[in-house]
Amino acid sequence: MAAFSPELVARVDELATRYPERKAALVPAMHLIQAERGGWFSDETIRDTAELFDVPDMHVRGMVGFYDMFHSQPVGRHVVRLCKTLACKLRGSDELRAHIREQFGVGNGETTEDGRFTFKCFECLGHCSTAPMMLVDDEKYEDLTVAKLDDVLRGLE
Amino acid sequence: MLEHADDPAQKTLEVYRRNGGYQALEKALREMSPADVTEEVVKSGVRGRGGAGFPCGRKWKFVPKTDKPKYLCVNADESEPGTCKDRQIMERDPHQLLEGALLACYAIGAETAYIYVRGEYPHSIAILEKAIEEAREAGLLGKDILGTGFDCDLWVHPGAGAYICGEETSLLTSLEGNRGYPRLRPPFPAVEGLWRCPTIVNNVETISCVTHIIKRGGDWFASLGCEGSTGTRLFCISGHVKRPGVYEFECGKFTMRELLEDFCGGTPSGLPIKGVFPGGSSVQVMTNEELDVRFDIESVQKAGSGLGSAGMMVFDGATSAVDVALNIAEFYSHESCGQCTPCREGSDWIRMLVKRFLDGGAGTSDIDLIHTVANYMDGTTICALADAMAWPMKSLVEKFRPEFEAYVAEKATA
Repeated sequence: MAAFSPELVARVDELATRYPERKAALVPAMHLIQAERGGWFSDETIRDTAELFDVPDMHVRGMVGFYDMFHSQPVGRHVVRLCKTLACKLRGSDELRAHIREQFGVGNGETTEDGRFTFKCFECLGHCSTAPMMLVDDEKYEDLTVAKLDDVLRGLE
Repeated sequence: MLEHADDPAQKTLEVYRRNGGYQALEKALREMSPADVTEEVVKSGVRGRGGAGFPCGRKWKFVPKTDKPKYLCVNADESEPGTCKDRQIMERDPHQLLEGALLACYAIGAETAYIYVRGEYPHSIAILEKAIEEAREAGLLGKDILGTGFDCDLWVHPGAGAYICGEETSLLTSLEGNRGYPRLRPPFPAVEGLWRCPTIVNNVETISCVTHIIKRGGDWFASLGCEGSTGTRLFCISGHVKRPGVYEFECGKFTMRELLEDFCGGTPSGLPIKGVFPGGSSVQVMTNEELDVRFDIESVQKAGSGLGSAGMMVFDGATSAVDVALNIAEFYSHESCGQCTPCREGSDWIRMLVKRFLDGGAGTSDIDLIHTVANYMDGTTICALADAMAWPMKSLVEKFRPEFEAYVAEKATA
């Protein structure tokens, strides 16, 4: 097994002290693990995570499948999450989605050819009064227009 | 609640305290018993701000007397479409939430609280963690708070993207490190929640109200708003209005039409409002003719919908109700946890049916079929997600039936 970094293990051990059962630290830990392992859960990462928490592999696999923020496939250098739910749709998110398809050649769940970003249509991201919006990694962009979206995405490394 | 929200420094402990912060906690710990705190909350009449509207004080009273540890879970998994209010509290005035959580813990006898924040709110998480650190350093969290002997710790717990985890039993299952499957009730979480111990789950806004209730008294809070909907509420207005936003108002002081047409300026297109979801997408749609209703829990309920989370989505006359229906159907079919058959199968079936109207191939009988499938979902599952889909879908096909019929006719001749 390729070991996790000592920093990560120490951080997970600290997280676990917040709960009476270690397993409760699984979701917070999986965020850290996904970040350390290139943004997704390979079979190997799933096994390593299961071992770190002493739970069956299948439990971790189920978590990856259940929660939208965990990825079971490799992702690009950035993850772009565009909100598609009603408030954003009413303010033009369909046009933004079409623009991403036309200009960057990716649909929901796909990664650009140059590996720059993975595009995901997300259900309500909770910024309804400043719709439409997207998250690029941890950065949020509100009151989006096609021009603004284009600028942000072209500016990504 | 939003009094100081526009001051960027309100996030800091120093400014929060300068504005009277943590006085309620001092007062409670030094002058009030836990039962006194609960009584003030009961007196205030504050009802849950997450959507269900259950009286907060009554919920707290369900916690049994037992030696088991007790927990508080603040529900910050704000994911109801149209709802973006809890984020305002967490990002602009986080200490009022922490103070409310400490007060709630004191009242119910908990020494640990978790704030379950949806994973898609990295800003809220970062700001809350900073506020918690500041509070801990100042002796407002941890052991022997303010020298009163009260111990309480508070942690942020991030989710990872699942609407269902805002349902309180799902939230608990998720926090314990599992897929967020809702649990059968009873037992209710107040009796058997986290790790089978008594657990109170309250929404961010509800807990923030507690801070103000203890500071100024339950009677003061009850004097605001109207009977059945006391206090102020955060309303999130989105969609086709000129001035969308999150606004704090007393409940029951105006009608929906006044709010949307006067205060929010009507639609940007100038077309009449066609439909409104007054409390997130999990309630019945209301048409323009139905908007002269007072905006409080009971009035909206009497009008055949629900105030829910007060996340109001507005669409104008140019919007296709069938498009709206598909967007909502996609949401619920994606977010169903898959545990109960009526919801897992029904949500996707309805999604496919609605799509058929837009793609062509639907017949008039499919309108009734949507209704029938929705009826099979309503009230037949462990949690309310199936109902939350059935209600808007049934109301959309009932109130906008001619539009569904028009698609049938148009696609048949095309």
